Amino acid sequence: MELNYSLAFGAALRRELKLAWRRRGDLLHPFAFTLLVATLFAIGVGAEENLLQRAAGAVAFLCVLLALFLSVDGLFRPDRDDGQLDHLLTSPVPLSLLLSARLLAYWLIHGIGLTLASPLLALLLRLPAEQLPVLMLALTLATLGMSAIGIIGAALTVPLKRGGILLALIVLPLYVPLLIFGSGTVAAQASGEPIAAALYLTAALSVFLATLAPFVAAIALRLGMD
Amino acid sequence: MHPLRKQRLIAIVALLIGLGVASAFTLAALNENLDHFYSPTDINEGKVAEGKRFRLGGVVLEDSTERSAETLEVSFVVTDRIENTPVRYSGILPDLYKEGQSVIATGSLENGVFKATEVLAKHDENYMPAEVADAIAKAKAKQAAGGATESMQ
Amino acid sequence: MTRYASPPVFYRTAGLWRPWMGLATLLFGVPAIVYGLYFAPPDYLQGESYRIIFIHVPCAWVSMFAYVAMAGAGAAALIWHTKLSELAVLAIAPIGAGFTALTLLTGMLWGRPTWGAYWVWDARLTSELVLLFLYLGVIGLANAYGDSRRGARAAALLALVGLVNLPIIHYSVRWWNTLHQGETVRIFGESSMHESMLWALLAAAMAAKFYFLWSLLGRLRLNLLIAEREKGWVARELKLESADA
Repeated sequence: MELNYSLAFGAALRRELKLAWRRRGDLLHPFAFTLLVATLFAIGVGAEENLLQRAAGAVAFLCVLLALFLSVDGLFRPDRDDGQLDHLLTSPVPLSLLLSARLLAYWLIHGIGLTLASPLLALLLRLPAEQLPVLMLALTLATLGMSAIGIIGAALTVPLKRGGILLALIVLPLYVPLLIFGSGTVAAQASGEPIAAALYLTAALSVFLATLAPFVAAIALRLGMD
Repeated sequence: MHPLRKQRLIAIVALLIGLGVASAFTLAALNENLDHFYSPTDINEGKVAEGKRFRLGGVVLEDSTERSAETLEVSFVVTDRIENTPVRYSGILPDLYKEGQSVIATGSLENGVFKATEVLAKHDENYMPAEVADAIAKAKAKQAAGGATESMQ
Repeated sequence: MTRYASPPVFYRTAGLWRPWMGLATLLFGVPAIVYGLYFAPPDYLQGESYRIIFIHVPCAWVSMFAYVAMAGAGAAALIWHTKLSELAVLAIAPIGAGFTALTLLTGMLWGRPTWGAYWVWDARLTSELVLLFLYLGVIGLANAYGDSRRGARAAALLALVGLVNLPIIHYSVRWWNTLHQGETVRIFGESSMHESMLWALLAAAMAAKFYFLWSLLGRLRLNLLIAEREKGWVARELKLESADA
């Protein structure tokens, strides 16, 4: 039987997006979470405007990073609980292809979703207006890489009862370069330096991670399930 | 084509495209300037705006350190042997701070004076006994003197 | 080659080698530490405080070497599914984490007099800290699986993912902030440490490597006994040893 890979990819992608759309109310949770972290940060730092404004880019970046991390555990867990994951594993379509569809869907829903919501976050943190487009561009690129790391972490921990702190221990250190380059882009813009280098590096790393992640996650899922 | 072969081919092509794009971005980034501290020459050329935080790197000019008698105020001059930048700092300098050695200071420019909020000494990568360092310095001085006399002849 | 991967053969061979590793650790370590900490001349710039290099640098080398070794064992575990390489991943992780923690601790003690702060967010310190988190992730993942073989394979895969990411992390942190001095001992070209100090550093590094091997063999032997506790050879081996004693 000949398989049409692009059809399978499209179907998997549509399924993810449709599922997310049906439960669109859930998408507000990570968004509310970013606002909460920003609020707590602003209260913790105090009302001193300069300090908050200087850190605004990095804090906004961190809020999104943490919110994105929170949704990592949900990447495979619901599917494992209702048996969908076994279907994925026994499907005649290559697992890595299905996982790349899932990665793309996850990035579109959570990564781009949080990026689109970031202007409100920037407003709360009093990010200077001229830094907002750079922040959004950096977030768009960096969330792709973070999603890729997330899918590997989720695949490694899916057989366990809970991901929890272990998932944080696996995923967060790997976020470090993306955080550095991503928030480095915003910092460069803030101090009037050229942003191209940091932006290129964010893009390079994200594409690199997104290329390898479906294959690694496929190996991880198979390891955990046999 | 055999389905398994086709599958492998697609996977390899996808990998190559992804890695190719990633390397292209990396090369583009490496073509950009990745400098991250400024020298006194950069400052005199007006590359840094007043009031903006940045890092200043250079060597502490010999005989430039002035300590206040009562407070922890210190002022010294950082040089790259072409231009000089006066630095003011309030706090305890690290042990390795020495005139003629490198420092990296973080702070901002105020009326041409660098107000540092942090001074870090950068120690070099040479480890040797004090006598050896002295000997090297003497040999260098001798060589310089010898070179001077030769050129005079 | 495959003969040594068989658990009973490995168990016995490792038992033969292990005392020699311990002896080599003492042979290299004692003179290096005694000379380095008491007799080596003080540094021309840093004075006495540089002496911690004789502990700090060997630990740092082993912390990185151990990670590469762990990822190597992980690759072998994933490709050939040999039990021994799975156990090696589990055995190396805590040793590597210990050396990493020691590196960080001695680095902080060294940083105070030289840089003026216990901790600076410099490239090597930060990478070393991330390395510690990677080790802890590997250990945690392996422990979280009740089934040790599946846990070991998951940990092996994570170790490999970390290995690919380590240079990226290191490079990114370096780009972000660089203060640490350059490399002191170069494999190629002239090293910038004076002979009177260098030999002690190299001897201390050898001692740390041998200690790593000594500790690894011990852990592997123990893990092998636990993993193969149902097998006949374990009972025979243990009876033999208790008869000898």
